[in-house]
Amino acid sequence: MSGSNTIDRRDFLRVLGISGAAATLAGCGNTAIESGVEKVQSYVQPEDFVVPGVGVYYASTCAQCGSGCGVMGRVREGRILKLEGNTHSVISGGKICALGQAAVQVHYNPDRLTTPLMREGGELKPTTWDKAMATLTARLGGESTLKGAQIAFLTGEVSGHQKALIGNFLDSFNSTHHVVYDALSTATGQAASKAVLGAAQPLLQIDKATLILSFGNDFLGAGVSPVHMAAQYARFRKAPRGTLIQIEPRMTLTGANADRWYALKPGTEGVFALGLAHALLEHGQFAKTVPAPIVAALKEYDKETVSGITGVHADAIPHVAGMLMEHTPSLVLSGPSAEGQVNGAQNAAAILLLNVILGNAGKTLQGQASHPFPQLIASAGSYAALTQLNNSMASGQCQALLIAGSNPIFSAPGFLPFAKSMEKVPFKVALVTQVDETAAQCDLVLPLHSPLEAFGSHVSSYQPRGVEIGIQQPLMEGLYPDTRAFGDIVLDLLRQREPKNYKAFPDYYAYLKLAITKARPVFKSKLSDDDFWEDALRSGVLQLDAAPTALKTNASVVVVSKPEKHVIDVRYPFYFVPSVRADLRDGRHANLPWLQESPDSLTTIVWDSWVEIHPSTAAEMQIREGDILEVQSASGSVRAKAYLFPGLQPDTVSMPLGQGHTAYGRYANGMGVNPFKILNPLFDAQTGELATHATRVVIKKTGEHELMVKDEGATNLQQGRKLVATVAADQAELAKETSHVVE
Amino acid sequence: MSLSNLIKNWSSLRVKRPYQDQYKNADYKWGMVIDLDSCTGCNACTTACYAENNLPVVGKESFSKGQAMHWLRIERYWGEGTELAQFPDHGAQFLPMMCQQCESAPCEVVCPVGATHHTPDGLNSQVYNRCIGSRYCSANCPYKVRYFNWWQYPERAWPNPLEKQLNPDVTVRSKGVMEKCTFCVQRLTAAKNQARTDGRRVADGEVTTACAQACPTSAITFGNMADSQSQVAKIWARQQVELASDKQDKKDEGLRGYRIFEELRTYPSVLYLERVRNSDA
Amino acid sequence: MKFYINATLAFAMLLCTAVVLAEPFVSGGAIGSQTDDGYNALGPVVVQPIEFPHNTHAGTMGINCMYCHTYARRSAVSGIPRLDKCMGCHNLIESVKDKPRIKQLFAYWEKKEAIPWLKVHDLPDFVRFNHERHIQRFYFKDGRPVREVCGYCHGDVASMTTARRVKALSMGWCISCHQKDHQESATNLKTSNGPNDCWQCHK
Repeated sequence: MSGSNTIDRRDFLRVLGISGAAATLAGCGNTAIESGVEKVQSYVQPEDFVVPGVGVYYASTCAQCGSGCGVMGRVREGRILKLEGNTHSVISGGKICALGQAAVQVHYNPDRLTTPLMREGGELKPTTWDKAMATLTARLGGESTLKGAQIAFLTGEVSGHQKALIGNFLDSFNSTHHVVYDALSTATGQAASKAVLGAAQPLLQIDKATLILSFGNDFLGAGVSPVHMAAQYARFRKAPRGTLIQIEPRMTLTGANADRWYALKPGTEGVFALGLAHALLEHGQFAKTVPAPIVAALKEYDKETVSGITGVHADAIPHVAGMLMEHTPSLVLSGPSAEGQVNGAQNAAAILLLNVILGNAGKTLQGQASHPFPQLIASAGSYAALTQLNNSMASGQCQALLIAGSNPIFSAPGFLPFAKSMEKVPFKVALVTQVDETAAQCDLVLPLHSPLEAFGSHVSSYQPRGVEIGIQQPLMEGLYPDTRAFGDIVLDLLRQREPKNYKAFPDYYAYLKLAITKARPVFKSKLSDDDFWEDALRSGVLQLDAAPTALKTNASVVVVSKPEKHVIDVRYPFYFVPSVRADLRDGRHANLPWLQESPDSLTTIVWDSWVEIHPSTAAEMQIREGDILEVQSASGSVRAKAYLFPGLQPDTVSMPLGQGHTAYGRYANGMGVNPFKILNPLFDAQTGELATHATRVVIKKTGEHELMVKDEGATNLQQGRKLVATVAADQAELAKETSHVVE
Repeated sequence: MSLSNLIKNWSSLRVKRPYQDQYKNADYKWGMVIDLDSCTGCNACTTACYAENNLPVVGKESFSKGQAMHWLRIERYWGEGTELAQFPDHGAQFLPMMCQQCESAPCEVVCPVGATHHTPDGLNSQVYNRCIGSRYCSANCPYKVRYFNWWQYPERAWPNPLEKQLNPDVTVRSKGVMEKCTFCVQRLTAAKNQARTDGRRVADGEVTTACAQACPTSAITFGNMADSQSQVAKIWARQQVELASDKQDKKDEGLRGYRIFEELRTYPSVLYLERVRNSDA
Repeated sequence: MKFYINATLAFAMLLCTAVVLAEPFVSGGAIGSQTDDGYNALGPVVVQPIEFPHNTHAGTMGINCMYCHTYARRSAVSGIPRLDKCMGCHNLIESVKDKPRIKQLFAYWEKKEAIPWLKVHDLPDFVRFNHERHIQRFYFKDGRPVREVCGYCHGDVASMTTARRVKALSMGWCISCHQKDHQESATNLKTSNGPNDCWQCHK
């Protein structure tokens, strides 16, 4: 057990006398009746509600992605066993995704870092907290003279009071360099949305739409708040059943659920959208929705031209336009495959323009409710922020770098010399639960509590209804004596730098509790401060009813340039589409065995990377499944097995992101390859963000072949066995089925 | 159970087909409904199953030999009649597949040691310490949802401290035994015991399986079919699917309920609702 | 409740064999030693960290088993009484404070350390035995004496110091009781059996 002060403040978790390590295990060994062989663990002085053999649920907030889902943890005999959704949470609605389930494997991961590491003679070696903190204090404590751009704090998506604390910490250096990097940033799409719809992240009211037209938006898979979106989608599918049309170069999980799926050439989404706009505007009812110059410019987007550029059959345009006219309200979404292009913002704007033409704003699209604590909302990560940091490091300006929740050495594109630039920073500190590629290059690596052991708060940038602040509380005592909470470490430093302001906070718990109770009036609570806090811990969420806001659309910002065909570079004949798996994301979850062994939804492949190639293209090139291909771009090359995948534009090859780790524990290392490293230095013209989907590659056969490890059997087809039966929407009497979706 | 008992009750111990109203007076008959139009293939249910039921992660090598231990798997099919060279115009077809808890289960009759067996509440039980690993049950299962422990997974699947996540209510299976989806029997038993102590029947919604609890689209409904007011019983009734029939005689059209391989007369306890696609789209 | 068992002849025959094998269960105790109900499986004498005198507490003092073993009626597992339970009384009993076993107890309490008791009735890990159900049924519903109810499985603990297993706890032994007709309650003459479903006990 850790020091007594940490126990005191966690009365609700007090399990004195039972240590995590000694908790009994089920089913390992004992197969006969025994006497006097095993010890029985007993309690010394437990809380009254602790009963051995009875699981108790505690509310918390999932930290696996930025959605901020409320979760409930089942705790038995002092161990966290499983997470479920928290029904109090508007975001999760009592549900949980695969990623959330696997949070317990972050906590119990056998490769967790359990002691601080310090670089000695070029190598990271275990050290004590005293030595680690002495080093940290010497560099960043009260005596530190660093200021402004000399210090930077690099994180992934971070929100709530942890974000506020980072801000406070940097303030004490007069620095504003909180760098938020997200390899799967949607900054380009958000910029376009802000311009056209007046909101970077408008509320998508999927359940209110009768038709959704999605250009590569994977809202069911790796998009924003997938658990909430899935619940909305379920309602959308009940009578009167909504129709989903998906247009994208590579089938996403959302595309796999579409009523109609269209493949198009990557980067031509905007052209297709403008083709639809042109077809719609030929009908008088829409004429006044966009400025006349745009209408005029759209004249060139006739269906034959659009078809020629996008590779979609010409009849699809009037057909989809007709569907959009028939079904109101509709909802048109843009996604990463449209936005990760050199004309990404332009694509997204053209797509979102359709919402303006169709009058969806105010119906299926609304502004998020105004938030009483905007400073706590997760800030959007961007590639631009990372390049700025890279330049600052390379120029020698950055003297100290702290990193938490971000692994750019793995997830930054290969052409960015991030690792090399980092070498020029004299003091680099990583705060991690497990060493990753970036932490391995730091001078000091501090072992963190897992999110299941630490206090925190989460405020998602996507608030589906009103306002929800997720409270994270420890679900069990720390597994290891030498890990510490992120907040406690930063607060320690702050106390040294500004004792006057921070000496009142012995730990991050006190900081968080005070901050939450100070917010009590906003939540119009009549409870005492302590009761309000207890109540927040009990329900796991703080909620405020607030109406959505109106959107101010602006069609005139859409640039309609002359429709032009892509110029094909014969050296690199294939488009390269990196796909994002809903579980592994940018690779940060590749260390979780459940997710590695969970078959990819579309290919059923496990533990690996692969190259998807359309069966017709594969036939032309005489490629079979399992043939090892070299995928080469102008920036690098990777090798992986071929997988014949029909949900792909035939001039495109696709590879999943997230694999190819070299220093991320036993479950991630050596599994597959890292396609981030072959992305070309191409950027969106308007935002400067990395054009993740714009790389072109050449495929080379290596002559080698390996068995593909996957779950699907010898056939992809049902062969008349009625396994998954499908019925036409007009044949099913959905209205007679009372909805059994939990409202 | 003595030999005299066995001979006396022989007729009641023989393999039986389910009959109408079999569970009419029973307290429990567990059943499930999976709406394939809501299922998005997201894998939340399968991961929840790993977490709840102590399923071992077997690793790439074993997986490649078909030794995965996923009690609940998502099968993915492409459209019927679609050649691979064409686009899947209407998306993929996902099928969550787990033990169907057949009322006349092909696995039960071939077990040489009676390790799998029908429970009074309509489940196919699997008794690990009785199993000798003949694998006849797996060979005879048309759904291929029985999984064999080819290795001593407790020694390799949960390196310390991963074993601390193991659910103490579920046995960790050792090498040489068969296992399969249990409809989270540990949850059912706990709920039944609580209800018995309270002198009542388990209420609808009081207990559910890990997969149904996780499912973000609520595509899975679980409950007690012996309770005619439960959600599952109502859906089965509305879909006009009889547990004890091998050919459904539906009065109304436009109903989506069907059971997989019903023609094999396994009488599964899992009802699937057809996936819907707008063919005009 | 009506239920049926699917069985082939082969299964039935093997089952008979299994039952025969299960009867003379030998485990734990000296071979040939008999439990007090005639089964061949008396448990060994278990040396505990403190030689706890059940005979004093349950016998001489007549303390209800459930006063200390509070979890048994509310949980599947009975657990071991919490240490502060012991201290609740012994802090106030001056007369025995100098006795060696009480000194041991205080030593554990001062270190806030759990006493490393050894399990005496340790069922195989695949068995789901539920204390709560048995106590709810026989003590609370039937109103039978608590020492008798606990004694069905644990024997007459009140006559022992540290407990020793005196019942076989084998499957055949469990079934022998589950097959018996038990009166529904003290006032209801209707009888019923314990559950006879594999999954009730096997997990």
